[in-house]
Amino acid sequence: MGDGNNTSGRGISANNTSSSGNSEKPEWLQQYNLLGKIGEGTYGLVFLARIKSPTNRGKCIAIKKFKQSKDGDGVSPTAIREIMLLREISHENVVKLVNVHINHADMSLYLAFDYAEYDLYEIIRHHRDKVNHAINQYTVKSLLWQLLNGLNYLHSNWIIHRDLKPSNILVMGEGDEQGVVKIADFGLARIYQAPLKPLSENGVVVTIWYRAPELLLGAKHYTSAVDMWAVGCIFAELLTLKPLFQGAEAKSTPNPFQLDQLDKIFKILGHPTLEKWPTLANLPHWQSDMQHIQAHKYDNAGLHSVVHLSPKSPAFDLLSKMLEYDPRKRITAAQALEHEYFRIEPMPGRNALVPSQPGEKIVNYPTRPVDQNTDFEGTTSIQPSQPVSGNAVAGNMGGAHAGRNGSVNRPMPPPPMQRMPQGMMAYNFPAQAGVGGGMNPGGISMQRNMAAAQAHQQQQLRRKDPGGMTGYPPQQKSRRL
Amino acid sequence: MSMGELDNISFSCSSLLCEETEACFSETGRQEEDGESQSVYLKCCDNEDYDEYIKKLVQRETDFGFKTNESFADYQNTSKSWLECARLDAIEWIFNTRKVFGFQIHTAYLSVIYFDRFLSKRSIDEGKLWAIRLLSVACLSLAAKMEECRVPPLSEFPIEDYHFENKVIQRMELLILSTLEWKMGSVTPFAYLHYFIHKLYAESNSNKELVSNAIELIMAMAKEISLVNQYRPSIIAAAAVFAASGNPLTSKAMEVKIDSISLWGSLENEQIVCCYKMMQELQMRKSKTPNFVVTSHFSAIHALENASAKTAGAAGTKRKLTFNQSDQNGLAKKICRSE
Repeated sequence: MGDGNNTSGRGISANNTSSSGNSEKPEWLQQYNLLGKIGEGTYGLVFLARIKSPTNRGKCIAIKKFKQSKDGDGVSPTAIREIMLLREISHENVVKLVNVHINHADMSLYLAFDYAEYDLYEIIRHHRDKVNHAINQYTVKSLLWQLLNGLNYLHSNWIIHRDLKPSNILVMGEGDEQGVVKIADFGLARIYQAPLKPLSENGVVVTIWYRAPELLLGAKHYTSAVDMWAVGCIFAELLTLKPLFQGAEAKSTPNPFQLDQLDKIFKILGHPTLEKWPTLANLPHWQSDMQHIQAHKYDNAGLHSVVHLSPKSPAFDLLSKMLEYDPRKRITAAQALEHEYFRIEPMPGRNALVPSQPGEKIVNYPTRPVDQNTDFEGTTSIQPSQPVSGNAVAGNMGGAHAGRNGSVNRPMPPPPMQRMPQGMMAYNFPAQAGVGGGMNPGGISMQRNMAAAQAHQQQQLRRKDPGGMTGYPPQQKSRRL
Repeated sequence: MSMGELDNISFSCSSLLCEETEACFSETGRQEEDGESQSVYLKCCDNEDYDEYIKKLVQRETDFGFKTNESFADYQNTSKSWLECARLDAIEWIFNTRKVFGFQIHTAYLSVIYFDRFLSKRSIDEGKLWAIRLLSVACLSLAAKMEECRVPPLSEFPIEDYHFENKVIQRMELLILSTLEWKMGSVTPFAYLHYFIHKLYAESNSNKELVSNAIELIMAMAKEISLVNQYRPSIIAAAAVFAASGNPLTSKAMEVKIDSISLWGSLENEQIVCCYKMMQELQMRKSKTPNFVVTSHFSAIHALENASAKTAGAAGTKRKLTFNQSDQNGLAKKICRSE
């Protein structure tokens, strides 16, 4: 173990799980049976794999490979920030980072997450395109409750997600955690006062449909309220199966100003006024774009008619508080969890997919398609690849929402027989000092390292849940009007 | 935190405010130190959530190894003096390079924290100054990636005496990241400065001077003590604010002020006093030597160490952490050149 002679991970294909492949695999990879590629996004690829070790045998893991940073830049800042953040957070409704692997040969980074079979993007799509039926109220409420619960945890720890959208909200498949929501993709998340680049400068296209109006209007300072706006949009989408504000993205503009997106918002929520939103006048694009926005008169078309809710219903009340224009008046995650909507029947539950009440029909959602022809390097082998554009695995799968083949069989690999490396060595450095190409550039003694790394393995993250918010709201008498 | 407590926290938006423009502003780095410190550290944060935020930060400090660490003792025993002067040399390089790139001050400080945390877990063979330099480069690069909006390519780092290929620096970065278990969000004393000044010297008219003095002391302290396992960042920050105020305080008077913040226990109170006295020493040395070139023997600190050793849990390692820099101050550079 850790002798510095790890060979390259090149060309290890998903199909290559037979005897010949193992000798070429880097050690960390030998812990897994690779099943195939399940997603591709701005930051890299996501693979599905099974753990071989006896303790967790057969457990599914999503492995996100970071794209190599530009040569000469070293480890990418995005990777550092995302991993740092994931290392510090631990909550039932936030995706769990199981391991960080460094592929020594090319210094690429792989993150291993607990695998989640579903995501809200696929659940909504399935209802819209296949079931032709709204998502039942219990499921909507449970999904929303858990999403808010995870978000409340993040916000309590001064983390803003910044990129919430249905494909980043995962839902666990069969197992102990069936139907549990996991917030994923912290590629854009920020902790504490880490400096922020404007969203447009990150070089990634973030879906604008869930972007808060203050961001669209060029606010330089933004708050956790941007996440709550996105939750409002997602809530509406769960109810109607359609994105609430489906603006066309202006890709050419270098600034974050998205006129069409604002147009879509104003058409449904009405014209923002200084009375409702006093700081509006200070926002750069509000000032600079008199001609387009301010000249236009928007009627208050009425959100309730779009989402088919009675204006007096608690659901509508909650939704409209999430879609408050003024970020300072927008409801917080903590406040939303206290909202009456969650205190009336049906009560939210831990398994969002299976209603506690009998009689409700259980929907069988499609499992994620697996592209078996892509190796861990991301290169596709000669066989024709299945059209996979998975978007929502633990890692960021932003953007790609193209069609999918939902009928791919997941292969069950033969039970692995070879000896496992001791435990899961996350930080898998060779013990020898700086031999050419080795991982130790400084000739630095490593004796303590291995023990430290192993100790680290055992160490659970200690961050506590803020104020016992994981519990579900107590059963109360219905306060419905 | 109980449910009841949570209810009491009104979670206003301002608590999650991301200071985009200010941080980016200082990044241009063409300002004088004073101007920079104003823009970065004098944020207006006077709201009720700020107390809660600061409490969380203090809690977070313990997540980053501010407790007894046995392996550190070994590191201290082996060739202490060599490492001490190599460390000083590294800090000089980090501080200078920060200025060259116009990074924020706390980015340089964070680099030194990484540097010390790394060496508390791994050792570098005596004499391998190139390894120290490589470590410095990678620490600064990582800190910049955490804190700065724009990070120069690795090839632009001014590594005068050596040549490191980009790949080598990247491997070092990875080694640091994994050694520090990817916990790169270390708290620095700068996170507390404004809060403490507001709490302790709200009536003061000369905040500007107070802040720049405190920053100077915090940076000077980085050269004196290891940034792991000795004083927690909040303690260094509090001591720096007291020392920077320019009005000598008795221990009693200081305790009254410390209690008004109610962040610490009695152990920490005593540590603040010790740290404060160290900083007073530094100020005296500075007043004697105009360019802040340290020449005097720093025996007073050892006396302080003995005084505080009874109270500190990590008494065994504490004293070792104090670097006696005077005799080898110039040595590192000489070795460096002769290699």
